[in-house]
Amino acid sequence: MHEPGQEEKTYVLNFGPQHPSTHGVLRVELQMEGEFITKAAPDIGYGHRGHEHMAENRNYQQFLPNMGRVDYLHALAYNQGYCMAVEKLTGLEVPERAEFIRVITAELNRIASHLLWVGAYLLDLGAFTPFLYCFDDRENILDLLDRVTGSRLTYCYYRFGGVPKDIDDEFMAGCRAFITRLRGRFKDYDDLVTKNIIFIKRTRDIGVISKEQCVRYGLTGPMVRGSGIPYDIRKSEPYSVYPRFDFEIPIGERGDIMDRYLVRIREMAQSLRIIEQALDKLPDGPIMAEKVPKRIKPAAGEVYQAVETARGEFGCYIVSEGDIKPYRIKLRVPSFGNLSILPEIAVDTLVADLVAILGSIDVVVPEIDR
Amino acid sequence: METKTGEPLIKIGLLEEALNLARANSLWPMTFGLACCAIEMMAAGAARFDLDRFGAGVFRPSPRQSDLMIVAGTISKKMAPAVVRLWEQMPAPKWVIAMGNCAISGGPFYYPTQYAIVPGADLIIPVDVYVPGCPPRPEGLIEGILHLEEKITKRGRLRKFRDVK
Amino acid sequence: MLSERIKKALALLKLEKVEGGDYGKTGYHVEAAADPGQMPEVAKAMLAEGCFLESLTAVDYPAHFTLVYHFASYEELCRTVVHAKLDKRLMATSITAVYPAANWYEREVYDLFGIKFAGHPDLRRILLPLEADFHPLRKDFGATASNA
Repeated sequence: MHEPGQEEKTYVLNFGPQHPSTHGVLRVELQMEGEFITKAAPDIGYGHRGHEHMAENRNYQQFLPNMGRVDYLHALAYNQGYCMAVEKLTGLEVPERAEFIRVITAELNRIASHLLWVGAYLLDLGAFTPFLYCFDDRENILDLLDRVTGSRLTYCYYRFGGVPKDIDDEFMAGCRAFITRLRGRFKDYDDLVTKNIIFIKRTRDIGVISKEQCVRYGLTGPMVRGSGIPYDIRKSEPYSVYPRFDFEIPIGERGDIMDRYLVRIREMAQSLRIIEQALDKLPDGPIMAEKVPKRIKPAAGEVYQAVETARGEFGCYIVSEGDIKPYRIKLRVPSFGNLSILPEIAVDTLVADLVAILGSIDVVVPEIDR
Repeated sequence: METKTGEPLIKIGLLEEALNLARANSLWPMTFGLACCAIEMMAAGAARFDLDRFGAGVFRPSPRQSDLMIVAGTISKKMAPAVVRLWEQMPAPKWVIAMGNCAISGGPFYYPTQYAIVPGADLIIPVDVYVPGCPPRPEGLIEGILHLEEKITKRGRLRKFRDVK
Repeated sequence: MLSERIKKALALLKLEKVEGGDYGKTGYHVEAAADPGQMPEVAKAMLAEGCFLESLTAVDYPAHFTLVYHFASYEELCRTVVHAKLDKRLMATSITAVYPAANWYEREVYDLFGIKFAGHPDLRRILLPLEADFHPLRKDFGATASNA
């Protein structure tokens, strides 16, 4: 693998596209000097499915199921972002109860996404047990969401102007039982993971991201919050009924992997608080706006709607030319921006650390590639 | 010397049958996820569904150690050569399960002007069992694996499982 | 107010248009239109105000491309959009030197639209295979034997 002029101690290591720690089909080309990385070049696109091209070939409703498949771990946030963008474009008002249901289900989904991240990430670091714990908890959420949405993973639950199916008492009771259960489990996670000396050694002061880097690379989500910037769209750019709930934005101090891990763990507790308040305050009323047109045909114009997913900011940019099909839809996905910092922070780390850093970004490859 | 045709000295057929029984009950799938379906594959291997009950829970990160490829997700044009290479790297005997609509036929991402995906895993590698769904539930994947076990042993092993309730 | 500061800073650059946006309708606080060649200066001004590059994309219109830059800030709610009309035969100007985040976004725009960025350090395809010979999000892209 040597170029003629290259010194012999540098060699190229191909990491992926099939590798258990790449969370899908990401490839990173590493130039190594011994155990140390001198250059890391991510190669994406192995999960490219052409969502944006698809959008231009279908009408607004037909594109809705795609939203469950861009970021399948937090599908409901994508549902919400796209629905809100189209609602803004067409001037549809969503009833209050529907907004509450959206918040409850989206937050449940966020917890499911973080749980999966914790499990899969620790699997990357060599701990198998938390994986089983997390999936056990996650299955409880999937049961709840399965009841109202009808699917386990690729949800297509929100509609323009509301939600199609109301939640029932059994769902609410299930939510409350789950809140109690997960709160009890946080201590287990703390004991198993957070205080584990191996975990601390592998995550403290590794993959440090400064505030200045956050701005230059346009990072969002737990990546910036781990670096101490309290940027969460739910607070910074309030949407839906989030301003009515009392919750905090957990932030880190050092910007290393440990901080990003702690941010996600604390975020789950905050999501539980939001769900609890939403269940308490849930108003009665319709769940669907009156007079939702059968054919969505917005006037010419453009709209940008941002929502906070488990990974960061999802922005839905729609250009309409007054047709039943969107003229252009750009999906601004969080992992795309978040991953682009990897070449900068991976330099001079060990290969084992690269796995730890890559995992802490929480990439979902088909989301990056769209 | 004259050659005689008659009873073979060693009955390979019986050995083959015993080996197949062993293979069917210790399938080692490759840790290989392409998209959404991979999450359901992980869920099938995790606490609640526990693929280990059917002998197929030992996920191997390397193709050289595995004998079952579960194509879980959309195969993009860029990924297709890598999928073929991974399949070629697996030692025979080997089997392939196409999990989910994307791996079966391109699923929701197939339409006449699409440019990004390969519509179906069977266009590039031989597929033994197809598990439909978008994504299939873990029960669906387990059913697919049981069907594969039945196919390997050529016996109605599945029936026994159905009788046990 | 950040939006006022941004408007003031952009006004100094003599752009085609700088005005307040209707946030409730479009999600923008500041709307601007610029020449693609002015984008590095615009980016510098935005970075000086502490904004980050939220997204960079393009839209293919029959007569021209329009590059769309979104900027937002961690500190204060303020989204700025900059539209830059680009003649189909010309090259755009890269802002990677100011915002490293633009590196991948510009590669994506090149990949999907075929728009070239002058001054980009490594303008290769990013999502499609390197040997692809088409740009799928151009409106004249259709099904042909090589891609169907």
